[in-house]
Amino acid sequence: MPIFNFDNIKISGMACAMPSNITKTESFKDIFSAEEVDKFMLMTGITETRRTSKYQTASDLGYVAAEKLLQHKNIDRNEIGALVFGTHSPDYRRPGSSSIVHKRLGLSIDTAVFDISLGCSAFVYGIQTVASMMNSSDIKKALLIIGDTTGKTTNPIDRASIMLIGESSVAILLEKTNDASPIISLVRSDGNGYRYLIVPGGAYRNIDASHENEICHDGIERNLHNSIMQGTSVFTFTISDIPKLMKDFWALTNTSVDDYDCYAFHQANLYILQQIAKKLKIPADKMPLTLSKYGNTSGASPIVTLCDTFGNVEGKELNTLFCAFGVGLSWGAFSAKINTSDILPIIEDDSVFEEGIIRSMKEL
Amino acid sequence: MQNRIIEILDSIRPDVDFANEKKLIDDGLLDSFDIVSIISELNDEYNISIRVTELKPENFNSVEAILNLVEKLKASN
Repeated sequence: MPIFNFDNIKISGMACAMPSNITKTESFKDIFSAEEVDKFMLMTGITETRRTSKYQTASDLGYVAAEKLLQHKNIDRNEIGALVFGTHSPDYRRPGSSSIVHKRLGLSIDTAVFDISLGCSAFVYGIQTVASMMNSSDIKKALLIIGDTTGKTTNPIDRASIMLIGESSVAILLEKTNDASPIISLVRSDGNGYRYLIVPGGAYRNIDASHENEICHDGIERNLHNSIMQGTSVFTFTISDIPKLMKDFWALTNTSVDDYDCYAFHQANLYILQQIAKKLKIPADKMPLTLSKYGNTSGASPIVTLCDTFGNVEGKELNTLFCAFGVGLSWGAFSAKINTSDILPIIEDDSVFEEGIIRSMKEL
Repeated sequence: MQNRIIEILDSIRPDVDFANEKKLIDDGLLDSFDIVSIISELNDEYNISIRVTELKPENFNSVEAILNLVEKLKASN
Protein backbone atom coordinates (compact mmCIF):
# COMPACT_ATOMS: atom_id res chain seq x y z
CA MET A 1 0.00 0.00 0.00
CA PRO A 2 1.56 3.36 -1.04
CA ILE A 3 1.65 5.17 2.30
CA PHE A 4 4.43 7.73 2.74
CA ASN A 5 5.82 9.36 5.87
CA PHE A 6 7.88 12.55 5.72
CA ASP A 7 9.34 13.62 9.07
CA ASN A 8 11.41 16.60 8.03
CA ILE A 9 9.30 18.48 5.51
CA LYS A 10 6.88 21.29 6.20
CA ILE A 11 4.24 23.05 4.11
CA SER A 12 5.37 26.59 4.87
CA GLY A 13 3.24 28.64 2.55
CA MET A 14 0.29 28.61 0.16
CA ALA A 15 -1.28 31.13 -2.20
CA CYS A 16 -4.13 31.08 -4.68
CA ALA A 17 -4.79 33.18 -7.78
CA MET A 18 -8.01 33.32 -9.72
CA PRO A 19 -9.50 35.46 -12.47
CA SER A 20 -11.83 38.32 -11.54
CA ASN A 21 -14.48 37.34 -14.10
CA ILE A 22 -17.53 35.94 -12.29
CA THR A 23 -20.14 33.72 -13.96
CA LYS A 24 -23.41 33.54 -12.03
CA THR A 25 -25.04 30.12 -12.12
CA GLU A 26 -28.43 31.86 -12.41
CA SER A 27 -27.31 33.20 -15.79
CA PHE A 28 -27.51 29.67 -17.22
CA LYS A 29 -31.30 29.94 -17.03
CA ASP A 30 -30.95 31.61 -20.44
CA ILE A 31 -29.68 28.27 -21.84
CA PHE A 32 -31.15 25.55 -19.62
CA SER A 33 -34.51 25.28 -17.87
CA ALA A 34 -34.97 27.23 -14.62
CA GLU A 35 -35.94 23.99 -12.87
CA GLU A 36 -32.73 22.30 -14.02
CA VAL A 37 -30.52 25.21 -12.91
CA ASP A 38 -32.28 25.47 -9.53
CA LYS A 39 -31.81 21.74 -8.90
CA PHE A 40 -28.15 22.03 -9.91
CA MET A 41 -27.58 24.88 -7.45
CA LEU A 42 -29.37 22.98 -4.68
CA MET A 43 -27.33 19.79 -5.21
CA THR A 44 -23.92 21.30 -5.93
CA GLY A 45 -24.10 24.46 -3.81
CA ILE A 46 -22.55 26.43 -6.68
CA THR A 47 -23.95 29.91 -7.23
CA GLU A 48 -21.01 31.44 -9.08
CA THR A 49 -17.63 30.53 -10.58
CA ARG A 50 -14.55 32.28 -11.95
CA ARG A 51 -13.39 31.90 -15.56
CA THR A 52 -10.20 32.87 -17.34
CA SER A 53 -10.19 34.95 -20.52
CA LYS A 54 -9.32 33.35 -23.87
CA TYR A 55 -5.54 33.47 -23.54
CA GLN A 56 -5.14 33.33 -19.75
CA THR A 57 -3.89 29.93 -18.62
CA ALA A 58 -3.38 27.92 -15.46
CA SER A 59 0.33 28.76 -15.69
CA ASP A 60 -0.46 32.50 -15.68
CA LEU A 61 -2.42 32.07 -12.44
CA GLY A 62 0.17 29.67 -11.01
CA TYR A 63 2.95 32.15 -11.73
CA VAL A 64 1.07 34.94 -9.96
CA ALA A 65 0.39 32.75 -6.91
CA ALA A 66 4.02 31.53 -6.75
CA GLU A 67 5.48 35.01 -7.23
CA LYS A 68 3.33 36.40 -4.43
CA LEU A 69 4.26 33.49 -2.18
CA LEU A 70 8.01 33.87 -2.78
CA GLN A 71 7.80 37.60 -2.08
CA HIS A 72 5.64 37.16 1.01
CA LYS A 73 7.97 34.51 2.47
CA ASN A 74 11.06 36.44 1.37
CA ILE A 75 12.52 33.35 -0.31
CA ASP A 76 15.83 33.41 -2.17
CA ARG A 77 14.89 31.98 -5.58
CA ASN A 78 18.24 30.22 -5.87
CA GLU A 79 17.19 28.02 -2.97
CA ILE A 80 14.21 26.54 -4.86
CA GLY A 81 15.42 23.06 -5.86
CA ALA A 82 12.23 21.75 -7.46
CA LEU A 83 9.22 23.18 -9.26
CA VAL A 84 6.42 20.72 -10.03
CA PHE A 85 3.20 21.71 -11.81
CA GLY A 86 0.13 19.46 -11.54
CA THR A 87 -2.31 20.24 -14.33
CA HIS A 88 -4.52 18.93 -17.09
CA SER A 89 -4.59 22.37 -18.69
CA PRO A 90 -1.02 22.91 -19.93
CA ASP A 91 -0.12 25.92 -22.06
CA TYR A 92 1.19 23.63 -24.81
CA ARG A 93 1.38 19.94 -25.63
CA ARG A 94 5.03 20.54 -24.96
CA PRO A 95 6.92 21.86 -23.09
CA GLY A 96 5.25 21.45 -19.74
CA SER A 97 3.79 24.48 -17.98
CA SER A 98 6.39 24.09 -15.23
CA SER A 99 9.04 25.26 -17.73
CA ILE A 100 7.09 28.45 -18.43
CA VAL A 101 6.71 29.21 -14.72
CA HIS A 102 10.38 28.35 -14.13
CA LYS A 103 11.38 31.03 -16.66
CA ARG A 104 8.91 33.62 -15.38
CA LEU A 105 9.92 33.19 -11.75
CA GLY A 106 13.59 33.44 -12.67
CA LEU A 107 14.58 30.23 -10.92
CA SER A 108 18.03 28.71 -11.13
CA ILE A 109 19.03 26.02 -13.65
CA ASP A 110 19.74 23.87 -10.60
CA THR A 111 16.03 23.19 -10.29
CA ALA A 112 14.18 19.95 -11.03
CA VAL A 113 11.21 21.06 -13.16
CA PHE A 114 8.39 18.93 -14.57
CA ASP A 115 4.61 18.57 -14.88
CA ILE A 116 2.35 15.96 -13.35
CA SER A 117 -0.59 14.99 -15.56
CA LEU A 118 -3.40 14.85 -13.01
CA GLY A 119 -6.59 16.76 -12.36
CA CYS A 120 -8.60 16.81 -9.16
CA SER A 121 -6.15 14.60 -7.24
CA ALA A 122 -3.06 16.54 -8.36
CA PHE A 123 -2.51 18.22 -5.00
CA VAL A 124 -2.22 15.04 -2.92
CA TYR A 125 -0.07 13.35 -5.56
CA GLY A 126 1.98 16.53 -5.94
CA ILE A 127 2.75 16.74 -2.23
CA GLN A 128 3.73 13.06 -2.19
CA THR A 129 5.99 13.55 -5.24
CA VAL A 130 7.71 16.75 -4.13
CA ALA A 131 8.18 15.57 -0.54
CA SER A 132 9.66 12.28 -1.81
CA MET A 133 12.11 14.19 -4.01
CA MET A 134 13.13 16.42 -1.13
CA ASN A 135 13.46 13.45 1.19
CA SER A 136 16.01 11.78 -1.07
CA SER A 137 18.01 14.84 -2.12
CA ASP A 138 19.66 17.98 -0.79
CA ILE A 139 16.70 20.12 -1.93
CA LYS A 140 15.74 22.41 0.95
CA LYS A 141 12.90 24.34 -0.65
CA ALA A 142 10.46 23.42 -3.43
CA LEU A 143 7.39 24.82 -5.14
CA LEU A 144 4.31 22.84 -6.08
CA ILE A 145 1.81 24.52 -8.39
CA ILE A 146 -1.63 23.09 -9.11
CA GLY A 147 -4.18 24.55 -11.48
CA ASP A 148 -6.65 23.94 -14.26
CA THR A 149 -8.79 25.90 -16.69
CA THR A 150 -11.22 23.09 -17.44
CA GLY A 151 -13.89 25.50 -18.67
CA LYS A 152 -11.89 25.90 -21.89
CA THR A 153 -12.53 22.27 -22.86
CA THR A 154 -16.10 22.08 -21.59
CA ASN A 155 -18.80 22.35 -24.22
CA PRO A 156 -20.84 25.51 -23.45
CA ILE A 157 -24.10 23.55 -23.71
CA ASP A 158 -22.90 20.67 -21.51
CA ARG A 159 -25.38 21.10 -18.66
CA ALA A 160 -23.67 18.32 -16.69
CA SER A 161 -20.39 20.25 -16.40
CA ILE A 162 -20.48 23.85 -17.61
CA MET A 163 -22.09 25.18 -14.42
CA LEU A 164 -19.77 23.11 -12.21
CA ILE A 165 -16.37 24.32 -13.37
CA GLY A 166 -14.34 27.07 -11.73
CA GLU A 167 -10.80 28.04 -12.71
CA SER A 168 -7.86 28.79 -10.44
CA SER A 169 -4.23 27.94 -9.66
CA VAL A 170 -2.45 27.60 -6.34
CA ALA A 171 1.19 27.58 -5.25
CA ILE A 172 2.51 25.68 -2.26
CA LEU A 173 5.95 26.12 -0.69
CA LEU A 174 7.60 23.10 0.95
CA GLU A 175 10.66 23.43 3.15
CA LYS A 176 12.98 20.94 4.77
CA THR A 177 13.23 21.61 8.49
CA ASN A 178 14.20 19.79 11.67
CA ASP A 179 11.11 20.85 13.60
CA ALA A 180 8.42 19.68 11.18
CA SER A 181 5.42 17.60 12.17
CA PRO A 182 5.15 14.53 9.95
CA ILE A 183 3.35 14.64 6.62
CA ILE A 184 1.69 11.26 6.07
CA SER A 185 0.32 10.50 2.61
CA LEU A 186 -1.78 7.67 1.15
CA VAL A 187 -2.56 7.53 -2.58
CA ARG A 188 -4.61 5.15 -4.73
CA SER A 189 -5.60 4.69 -8.38
CA ASP A 190 -7.96 2.66 -10.55
CA GLY A 191 -7.25 2.87 -14.28
CA ASN A 192 -10.43 0.91 -14.98
CA GLY A 193 -12.17 4.25 -14.62
CA TYR A 194 -10.05 6.05 -17.23
CA ARG A 195 -13.12 6.83 -19.34
CA TYR A 196 -15.18 8.34 -16.54
CA LEU A 197 -13.46 11.73 -16.88
CA ILE A 198 -11.81 12.16 -20.24
CA VAL A 199 -11.02 14.45 -23.16
CA PRO A 200 -10.85 11.77 -25.87
CA GLY A 201 -9.40 13.74 -28.79
CA GLY A 202 -6.53 16.04 -29.59
CA ALA A 203 -3.68 14.12 -27.99
CA TYR A 204 -1.67 11.34 -29.57
CA ARG A 205 -4.30 8.53 -29.58
CA ASN A 206 -6.59 10.42 -31.96
CA ILE A 207 -4.69 13.50 -33.02
CA ASP A 208 -7.09 14.46 -35.83
CA ALA A 209 -10.28 13.88 -33.86
CA SER A 210 -13.37 15.62 -35.24
CA HIS A 211 -14.55 18.91 -33.73
CA GLU A 212 -18.15 18.20 -34.75
CA ASN A 213 -20.65 17.91 -31.93
CA GLU A 214 -22.35 14.54 -31.40
CA ILE A 215 -25.16 13.46 -29.09
CA CYS A 216 -23.61 11.56 -26.18
CA HIS A 217 -25.11 8.72 -24.12
CA ASP A 218 -26.64 11.26 -21.72
CA GLY A 219 -28.33 13.20 -24.51
CA ILE A 220 -25.87 16.11 -24.29
CA GLU A 221 -24.01 17.42 -27.35
CA ARG A 222 -20.23 17.40 -27.13
CA ASN A 223 -17.25 16.84 -29.40
CA LEU A 224 -14.15 14.73 -28.93
CA HIS A 225 -12.09 17.71 -27.74
CA ASN A 226 -14.47 18.39 -24.85
CA SER A 227 -14.21 17.24 -21.24
CA ILE A 228 -16.67 14.43 -20.68
CA MET A 229 -17.69 13.30 -17.22
CA GLN A 230 -19.80 10.23 -16.56
CA GLY A 231 -21.31 11.83 -13.50
CA THR A 232 -23.08 8.83 -12.04
CA SER A 233 -19.96 6.66 -12.25
CA VAL A 234 -17.75 9.35 -10.74
CA PHE A 235 -20.21 10.09 -7.93
CA THR A 236 -20.64 6.40 -7.16
CA PHE A 237 -16.87 5.92 -7.01
CA THR A 238 -16.58 8.91 -4.71
CA ILE A 239 -19.23 7.97 -2.16
CA SER A 240 -17.86 4.44 -1.81
CA ASP A 241 -14.07 4.76 -2.22
CA ILE A 242 -13.41 8.04 -0.43
CA PRO A 243 -14.96 7.01 2.92
CA LYS A 244 -12.98 3.77 2.65
CA LEU A 245 -9.76 5.69 1.98
CA MET A 246 -10.34 7.92 5.00
CA LYS A 247 -11.11 5.00 7.31
CA ASP A 248 -7.96 3.21 6.09
CA PHE A 249 -5.93 6.38 6.63
CA TRP A 250 -7.17 6.74 10.19
CA ALA A 251 -6.45 3.05 10.88
CA LEU A 252 -2.93 3.22 9.39
CA THR A 253 -2.07 6.37 11.35
CA ASN A 254 -3.82 5.36 14.58
CA THR A 255 -5.92 8.49 14.41
CA SER A 256 -9.64 9.19 14.25
CA VAL A 257 -12.02 11.82 12.98
CA ASP A 258 -11.57 13.86 16.18
CA ASP A 259 -7.80 14.18 15.80
CA TYR A 260 -8.00 16.76 13.01
CA ASP A 261 -8.98 20.41 13.18
CA CYS A 262 -9.70 20.82 9.50
CA TYR A 263 -10.76 18.57 6.61
CA ALA A 264 -9.57 20.27 3.42
CA PHE A 265 -11.36 18.27 0.74
CA HIS A 266 -11.51 18.58 -3.02
CA GLN A 267 -14.58 20.71 -3.65
CA ALA A 268 -16.34 18.27 -5.99
CA ASN A 269 -19.89 19.34 -5.24
CA LEU A 270 -21.92 20.00 -2.12
CA TYR A 271 -23.97 16.84 -2.28
CA ILE A 272 -20.92 14.58 -2.54
CA LEU A 273 -19.11 16.34 0.32
CA GLN A 274 -22.20 16.17 2.53
CA GLN A 275 -22.51 12.44 1.82
CA ILE A 276 -18.84 11.84 2.67
CA ALA A 277 -19.04 13.96 5.83
CA LYS A 278 -22.19 12.13 6.94
CA LYS A 279 -20.64 8.70 6.43
CA LEU A 280 -17.44 9.67 8.25
CA LYS A 281 -19.15 11.75 10.95
CA ILE A 282 -16.99 14.77 10.12
CA PRO A 283 -18.50 17.83 11.84
CA ALA A 284 -19.62 20.48 9.36
CA ASP A 285 -17.52 23.17 11.07
CA LYS A 286 -14.35 21.15 10.39
CA MET A 287 -14.96 20.90 6.64
CA PRO A 288 -14.77 24.35 5.04
CA LEU A 289 -16.71 24.75 1.80
CA THR A 290 -16.19 27.30 -0.96
CA LEU A 291 -18.32 25.76 -3.70
CA SER A 292 -20.84 28.58 -3.61
CA LYS A 293 -18.22 31.16 -4.63
CA TYR A 294 -15.76 29.28 -6.79
CA GLY A 295 -17.35 25.99 -7.95
CA ASN A 296 -15.21 22.92 -8.60
CA THR A 297 -11.70 24.26 -9.25
CA SER A 298 -10.18 20.81 -9.90
CA GLY A 299 -6.88 20.03 -8.15
CA ALA A 300 -6.51 23.53 -6.71
CA SER A 301 -9.73 23.36 -4.72
CA PRO A 302 -8.44 22.26 -1.27
CA ILE A 303 -5.99 25.20 -1.25
CA VAL A 304 -8.55 27.60 -2.74
CA THR A 305 -10.71 26.69 0.23
CA LEU A 306 -7.96 27.22 2.81
CA CYS A 307 -6.95 30.56 1.26
CA ASP A 308 -10.56 31.73 1.26
CA THR A 309 -11.29 30.50 4.80
CA PHE A 310 -8.03 31.20 6.61
CA GLY A 311 -6.25 33.74 4.37
CA ASN A 312 -6.71 36.49 6.92
CA VAL A 313 -6.36 34.40 10.09
CA GLU A 314 -3.07 34.79 11.95
CA GLY A 315 -1.18 32.23 13.99
CA LYS A 316 -3.66 29.37 14.29
CA GLU A 317 -2.20 25.88 13.91
CA LEU A 318 -4.47 23.45 12.08
CA ASN A 319 -3.93 19.71 12.10
CA THR A 320 -5.29 19.26 8.61
CA LEU A 321 -6.37 16.19 6.68
CA PHE A 322 -6.39 16.81 2.94
CA CYS A 323 -8.30 14.59 0.53
CA ALA A 324 -8.69 14.77 -3.24
CA PHE A 325 -10.12 12.48 -5.92
CA GLY A 326 -10.94 12.43 -9.61
CA VAL A 327 -9.69 11.76 -13.11
CA GLY A 328 -7.73 8.58 -13.62
CA LEU A 329 -9.38 7.48 -11.44
CA SER A 330 -7.00 8.55 -8.73
CA TRP A 331 -7.45 9.60 -5.14
CA GLY A 332 -5.50 10.17 -1.98
CA ALA A 333 -5.20 11.84 1.39
CA PHE A 334 -2.46 13.31 3.50
CA SER A 335 -2.16 14.93 6.91
CA ALA A 336 -0.06 17.98 7.75
CA LYS A 337 0.07 20.74 10.31
CA ILE A 338 -0.63 24.10 8.71
CA ASN A 339 -0.13 27.48 10.38
CA THR A 340 -2.75 29.93 9.14
CA SER A 341 -0.10 32.68 9.03
CA ASP A 342 1.35 30.74 6.08
CA ILE A 343 -1.94 30.94 4.14
CA LEU A 344 -2.28 33.99 1.90
CA PRO A 345 -5.68 35.47 1.03
CA ILE A 346 -7.01 34.88 -2.49
CA ILE A 347 -5.42 36.99 -5.22
CA GLU A 348 -7.46 38.17 -8.22
CA ASP A 349 -5.44 38.47 -11.41
CA ASP A 350 -6.29 38.66 -15.11
CA SER A 351 -2.80 39.05 -16.56
CA VAL A 352 -1.64 36.99 -19.53
CA PHE A 353 1.91 35.98 -20.47
CA GLU A 354 1.76 37.70 -23.86
CA GLU A 355 5.13 36.31 -24.97
CA GLY A 356 3.66 32.83 -24.64
CA ILE A 357 0.92 33.40 -27.25
CA ILE A 358 2.45 32.11 -30.48
CA ARG A 359 0.07 33.01 -33.30
CA SER A 360 2.40 32.22 -36.20
CA MET A 361 5.39 29.97 -36.80
CA LYS A 362 7.22 33.11 -37.92
CA GLU A 363 7.28 34.22 -34.29
CA LEU A 364 9.47 31.26 -33.32
CA MET B 1 -37.60 -5.25 2.12
CA GLN B 2 -39.41 -4.15 -1.03
CA ASN B 3 -41.66 -1.75 0.88
CA ARG B 4 -38.68 -0.20 2.62
CA ILE B 5 -36.91 0.29 -0.71
CA ILE B 6 -40.01 2.02 -2.08
CA GLU B 7 -40.00 4.29 1.00
CA ILE B 8 -36.37 5.20 0.33
CA LEU B 9 -37.06 5.89 -3.34
CA ASP B 10 -40.15 7.97 -2.51
CA SER B 11 -38.12 10.08 -0.10
CA ILE B 12 -35.73 10.97 -2.93
CA ARG B 13 -38.21 11.40 -5.78
CA PRO B 14 -41.77 11.64 -4.41
CA ASP B 15 -43.07 12.51 -7.89
CA VAL B 16 -42.20 9.11 -9.43
CA ASP B 17 -44.52 6.08 -9.24
CA PHE B 18 -41.86 3.61 -8.15
CA ALA B 19 -44.31 0.78 -7.46
CA ASN B 20 -45.34 0.61 -11.11
CA GLU B 21 -42.56 2.10 -13.25
CA LYS B 22 -40.41 -0.54 -14.95
CA LYS B 23 -38.09 1.70 -17.01
CA LEU B 24 -36.83 4.23 -14.48
CA ILE B 25 -33.50 4.60 -16.28
CA ASP B 26 -34.44 3.76 -19.86
CA ASP B 27 -37.21 6.38 -19.79
CA GLY B 28 -34.97 9.00 -18.16
CA LEU B 29 -37.10 9.33 -15.01
CA LEU B 30 -34.02 9.44 -12.76
CA ASP B 31 -30.97 11.67 -13.25
CA SER B 32 -27.44 11.13 -11.97
CA PHE B 33 -28.07 12.92 -8.66
CA ASP B 34 -31.12 10.71 -8.08
CA ILE B 35 -29.14 7.54 -8.77
CA VAL B 36 -26.32 8.56 -6.46
CA SER B 37 -28.79 9.54 -3.73
CA ILE B 38 -30.46 6.14 -4.05
CA ILE B 39 -27.12 4.32 -3.95
CA SER B 40 -26.01 6.27 -0.90
CA GLU B 41 -29.24 5.55 0.99
CA LEU B 42 -29.20 1.84 0.05
CA ASN B 43 -25.54 1.53 1.09
CA ASP B 44 -26.36 3.00 4.51
CA GLU B 45 -29.63 1.14 5.02
CA TYR B 46 -28.34 -2.32 4.12
CA ASN B 47 -24.63 -1.95 4.92
CA ILE B 48 -23.64 -2.76 1.36
CA SER B 49 -21.34 -1.07 -1.14
CA ILE B 50 -22.81 -0.55 -4.59
CA ARG B 51 -19.79 -0.13 -6.87
CA VAL B 52 -19.45 1.49 -10.28
CA THR B 53 -19.53 -1.93 -11.93
CA GLU B 54 -23.14 -2.33 -10.77
CA LEU B 55 -24.19 0.90 -12.51
CA LYS B 56 -26.19 -0.77 -15.25
CA PRO B 57 -29.70 0.34 -16.26
CA GLU B 58 -30.99 -3.19 -15.66
CA ASN B 59 -30.06 -2.86 -11.96
CA PHE B 60 -32.05 0.35 -11.46
CA ASN B 61 -34.95 0.21 -13.93
CA SER B 62 -37.50 -0.99 -11.35
CA VAL B 63 -38.00 -1.61 -7.65
CA GLU B 64 -37.69 -5.34 -8.33
CA ALA B 65 -34.33 -4.86 -10.04
CA ILE B 66 -33.04 -2.72 -7.17
CA LEU B 67 -34.28 -5.32 -4.67
CA ASN B 68 -32.43 -8.07 -6.57
CA LEU B 69 -29.23 -6.01 -6.55
CA VAL B 70 -29.46 -5.32 -2.82
CA GLU B 71 -30.15 -8.99 -2.03
CA LYS B 72 -27.22 -10.09 -4.21
CA LEU B 73 -24.83 -7.67 -2.50
CA LYS B 74 -26.09 -8.57 0.98
CA ALA B 75 -25.56 -12.25 0.21
CA SER B 76 -21.99 -11.61 -0.95
CA ASN B 77 -21.11 -9.56 2.16
